[in-house]
Amino acid sequence: MSLLEIFDPKAPPRPIGIDLGTTNSLVAYVRGERPVAIADCDSEVLLPSVVAYYDSGPVVVGRRAKEEAAERPRDTIVSVKRFMGRGADDPETRRLGPYSFVDPKPGEPNVVRFEVAGREVTPVEVSAEILRALKLLAQDELRTVGGAVITVPAYFDDAQRQATKDAARLAGLEVLRLINEPTAAALAYGLEKKQNGTFAVYDLGGGTFDVTILVLDDGVFQVKSTGGDSALGGDDMDRLIAEEIFAQLERDWSATDIAKVADLTKRDPKTRKPQLVRLVLDAARKMKHALTEAQEVQAEIEGYGTVRLTRERFEECILPLLERTGATCKRALKDAGLKAEDLDGVILVGGSTRVPAVRAYVKKIFKKEPLGDIDPDQVVALGAAVQADLLAGQGRTDEVLLLDVIPLSLGIEVGGGVVDKILPRNTTIPSGARATYTTQEDNQTGFEIHVVQGEREMVADCRSLARFTLKGIPPMPAGLAKLEVTFEVDADGLLSVRAKETTTGIEQTVAVKPSYGLDDEAVENMLMDALDHGEDDLRLRRLAENRVEAHRILGATKKALDADAALLEPGEKDRIGAAMAALEGAAKGEDPAKIHARIEDLDAASKEFAGRRMNRAIARAIEGKRVDEVEKSVEHARGVEAAHEQR
Amino acid sequence: MDPFATLGVERKFDVDLAALEKTHRELSRALHPDKFVAAPPGERRAALEKAVQVNESWRTLRDPIRRAEALFSLYGIAVGETNEPKASPEFLMEVMERREELAEARARKDLAAVKKMAEEMAARSGEAERALADGFARGDYASVLPRLGELRFYKRFLEEVSAIEEE
Repeated sequence: MSLLEIFDPKAPPRPIGIDLGTTNSLVAYVRGERPVAIADCDSEVLLPSVVAYYDSGPVVVGRRAKEEAAERPRDTIVSVKRFMGRGADDPETRRLGPYSFVDPKPGEPNVVRFEVAGREVTPVEVSAEILRALKLLAQDELRTVGGAVITVPAYFDDAQRQATKDAARLAGLEVLRLINEPTAAALAYGLEKKQNGTFAVYDLGGGTFDVTILVLDDGVFQVKSTGGDSALGGDDMDRLIAEEIFAQLERDWSATDIAKVADLTKRDPKTRKPQLVRLVLDAARKMKHALTEAQEVQAEIEGYGTVRLTRERFEECILPLLERTGATCKRALKDAGLKAEDLDGVILVGGSTRVPAVRAYVKKIFKKEPLGDIDPDQVVALGAAVQADLLAGQGRTDEVLLLDVIPLSLGIEVGGGVVDKILPRNTTIPSGARATYTTQEDNQTGFEIHVVQGEREMVADCRSLARFTLKGIPPMPAGLAKLEVTFEVDADGLLSVRAKETTTGIEQTVAVKPSYGLDDEAVENMLMDALDHGEDDLRLRRLAENRVEAHRILGATKKALDADAALLEPGEKDRIGAAMAALEGAAKGEDPAKIHARIEDLDAASKEFAGRRMNRAIARAIEGKRVDEVEKSVEHARGVEAAHEQR
Repeated sequence: MDPFATLGVERKFDVDLAALEKTHRELSRALHPDKFVAAPPGERRAALEKAVQVNESWRTLRDPIRRAEALFSLYGIAVGETNEPKASPEFLMEVMERREELAEARARKDLAAVKKMAEEMAARSGEAERALADGFARGDYASVLPRLGELRFYKRFLEEVSAIEEE
């Protein structure tokens, strides 16, 4: 007799970890003490990151969409991650691919737009479809899904991270945290192996490359440096093979069929045949996979004949890509102040690390046999699931901590198109810094602030993140006004900027107009479109979200009151208690705005209490370290005694 | 903001970096936003603010130049290239010569010479750091202020060397 699993209807929502990959995506959660990936009804864990659009009927995501990509190349989006957070004119849109792009109309946000089945979609919307499919998969397994940790390449810039978060919002997922893919992988490995030391994570996926150097010390995963390329991965290997195939076919037909040659040589995205491009790219991918085992492979390109490729030629083709990753690895080591010899291990992540030439190359740069014993396709999602569990207050919350960094320097444009770096790359997050500037001209009444990200000296060579203007400064002689700009990067790696003119006190928290991204209004509109009944649904969703938030805060406040009653001042307990009761009442009602207002009231009532708790936590952390030090010196002294006795 | 106070360590130049890193880690364990996901928004914000301060303090103290700048500022001595006294003509002269030598070695692709110069500069950077530590310990701040400018020069020089090695 087999036992059926019975779902507990009151079971709390389960947190999940999502790896939103270029080629495949997956979702995992912690079952018992171990993370497991969730399989679909065909026992498949990997969901191809492919989204097919139709003139009518629902959008299709995953394997079925992938199978149809060859027939409907324009309406089927693969590798959408490569387009996240990019402008409509990004070079990525000009690489070999079957899509049709639309330029944004004046006033529309500057983001990539695909033309699919007679409409326009942005990469954020396409990604939201993948996330929605993963959420459904998780719901089938877990019934109630809580918050999600979603992974992003470590080298993703601010716009790409923001786009990922927007996609999650659109898919109705609460984002507990965005974490970096290599760090997630290290978390999965670190907890499995329980070994302290310094590690490099080499993560070559379908479309992105990251390298991260981190130290694991008693549960703290501290990232020392990171580097990468958010447009380098297995897709680029496929393109190189595809170019090779095109060249072979061209040679085969050059003497006999002019029309075929004409099709084969059209490289311009506007004129090339999308079916042929898709066919060749798919064949290229299959050949790449087969070359992991075989020394030579062949493929049939329907209507054009057979093509061949040896492993040797393939390795020759991809060597420049590998060398690009090698240069990045060297820089990451240098940024961490380390040499390859100092590393205790190298972890391989991402499907592209299955290519034997990649493994051999990694071994050469780091002078070590790399570890790949956790499935490189799953390890990131497994780590994300562990982190989701920790953030939801389960598991080894006291021991484990991820300390990550920003991958690219953040700065603002100053005179002459030069970048003034405010936060350098590899700064531990959350972080913040402040810089002061002044006016260049007499009676200048506004400051234009241009936020950029990148390592180069000139603004033109960096990535523009946002522009905003601080207005209303009274006329003053040049050099007198003082503009204080504050950058803050949160634990998701997302930047917010504040600017203040200090002589007048005029302040502006940036309503950042992203250079390449959707503003809040655009996301809101998409959200309305996505829901069947627009505003009504949106209100219900807000109500549900605010109720969850209200209960969470009530629970946390109660816990704090129970634990630290000693820190309360006379009358404070009653004030907080009254605010809690008011919030509880509001959460029973139907008005999301009211719940929000009562949350803010409770926040105000408990603000000082929270501050006292914080100060005590700090004192304890510093004190704890002193106790440790004392213990260590005692130990040391004993060691000395022992040595004396031996004599 | 006093980074020494934030991290709870004695105000001096020759800090124990290993101990400081440990303190940073312990404070992060207590304050990191990951530990406050379920906390009320006020507490979450307060923790975030403190975590940012702790990280900024750690970033300041682990870099000798930023650490010296912080100390001078705390002792009421303005820093920044326009506030500090001009470097001596001898030092400036030497700086120019060194830069030229480096540029020549770069042109000849003489990596051995570049490496030798880098080692020498690193040694002198270490000397300047020791002088700063002594000056701060004696309370004789103003007299060691020029050493800060020297440190910046050595750092830029070593960055250039890095760029050459990457070529």
